[in-house]
Amino acid sequence: MINRASKFALCLLALPALVVPILCLAYLLMRGLPGLDSSFFGLSTLGQSRDTTSLSNQHGIFPQIMGSVLLSALACSIAMPLALGLSLHNQLYAGRRSQSLMVHVLTTFQSIPPLVYGLCGLVVFVHLLQWGISLAAGAIVLAMIVLPVLTLNTIHALERIPTALTDSARSLGMSAGQIIWHVWRPKAWRSLLTGLFLAIARTLSETAPILFTATVFSGVIWPDSLLSPVTSLQTHIFYLAQEAVDERILAHAWSSALILVTLVVMFSVIAHFLNRHSSDNE
Amino acid sequence: MWLRGWIMLSVLTSIALIVLFVGFLTHASLPFFSKYGVSPIIGQEWYPYENLYGFLPALVGSAWAIAIALIIALPCGLAAAIVSVEILPLRYQSTVNLGIDILAGIPSVVYGLLGIALLLPWLENNLDLLTGHSLLAAGLLLSVMILPTITRLSQDAFRDIDNNYREAANNLGLNWSQQLVAVLLPQAWPSIRSASLLATGRGLGETIAVMLVVGSIDRIPDPWYNLLTPAQTITSRIGREMGEASVGSDQWSALMACGLVLTLCVAVLSIIAQTPHKRAAHD
Repeated sequence: MINRASKFALCLLALPALVVPILCLAYLLMRGLPGLDSSFFGLSTLGQSRDTTSLSNQHGIFPQIMGSVLLSALACSIAMPLALGLSLHNQLYAGRRSQSLMVHVLTTFQSIPPLVYGLCGLVVFVHLLQWGISLAAGAIVLAMIVLPVLTLNTIHALERIPTALTDSARSLGMSAGQIIWHVWRPKAWRSLLTGLFLAIARTLSETAPILFTATVFSGVIWPDSLLSPVTSLQTHIFYLAQEAVDERILAHAWSSALILVTLVVMFSVIAHFLNRHSSDNE
Repeated sequence: MWLRGWIMLSVLTSIALIVLFVGFLTHASLPFFSKYGVSPIIGQEWYPYENLYGFLPALVGSAWAIAIALIIALPCGLAAAIVSVEILPLRYQSTVNLGIDILAGIPSVVYGLLGIALLLPWLENNLDLLTGHSLLAAGLLLSVMILPTITRLSQDAFRDIDNNYREAANNLGLNWSQQLVAVLLPQAWPSIRSASLLATGRGLGETIAVMLVVGSIDRIPDPWYNLLTPAQTITSRIGREMGEASVGSDQWSALMACGLVLTLCVAVLSIIAQTPHKRAAHD
């Protein structure tokens, strides 16, 4: 009796954790879907004179999507090689003490708010190095944000490989490079990809750090160089949300949010299934 | 050879990034502390135009927001973890995890949008407020945002408990609630503790969503428990004013100092979370 009562109470307490998110997503779909018409994607105004007062120009939402994707792709391609190098160092050369020091330092840096990394980028890249508000500054800031997570994930992935495998590879006289390629890569690639996809999802969803370092509200369709500003979905939604009194702007914000969430969820769902397979194999 | 070069390069780059980060933080906020000392940290007034830089309103705001968030999210998250690991059959667990993963991935700006469009009007109508912008709104929003972190890490805590403990508790004739309270919760406690510390850190650092609903007015709640008035948190202040502060001005370095204070708070939380929990001697 008391068991059923306490189980029931727990379920009741747990309900918000499982129901609130579903409600949030449902509301997002409800508000966002109607706005996904051809003008949102900039298809209907094609060829017509550009209406400057309207939110949707001839390119629709595509510049923002491209900006987000570009920032995310650049950040991850900076962070991934670094993360791999760091974790290989940790696995191949580091002693016990420096291994645990590294994990602690990374965990601490992982907890530092993204906003502060944004401040760092603002001071160092935008002003000190005179890059201005630019794609490069934003990408490096995002790379700094995901680097600790990505490295920790890679370290865990490599640590899960049985030492017996590595030892026997060594005793066969394989070089470090051969061990990495022929022994570790086949074992760890799923977990590495999981980490990478989670990092992509993370970089796509961070807003605060790129607000001052990489993005402008409008006027950019495609950045000319690494040193020019971009627009991004995240900051676009933020700017629109600040104008939340206007129903039309709000509708545009919901549709943009729906696109962003779809992108992010896509990557985290891929990561989820990759991860599940990798733990099934063990 | 290239392997060594690559590894060396990435290690050096990372060290350079750490040095850059720490150096920037101290260097950018140093002018502020050398000019005003450390007393502004407990100062109550923040008016950049009159050179008054008191951190206290934002610190109190941050503390309230995270306190509300934890009060709601901790019991909910913990209960969700217990339900999904101990009560739900194994085959549903993966579905629940997928849901939590998706939740954890929802960008904070989307929560901000939800807050503005749903939460604020709801608060205004139900509590009869002039504006829904308040610490309560920020706290409620934060609680939804840290919920996945707490749930996920607590789930891991319960999963890591050795099944021997469960069997031993069963053999002793403990019923389910007794097992939970006497065996499972104490076993999982160290991980739950660090989970809540990590979640606190994440909540303190959350910017965009909080910024959109907190109202950004530098006032200490008056009386201190009045959570229904607009207020300010450290992150929302930095986010709001960074765009307008001119480079190198007092306001600029004051905001950097806010960043430094925030970083120190969060880093301390993270370090406490990492140090292993000392068990009582009788364990």
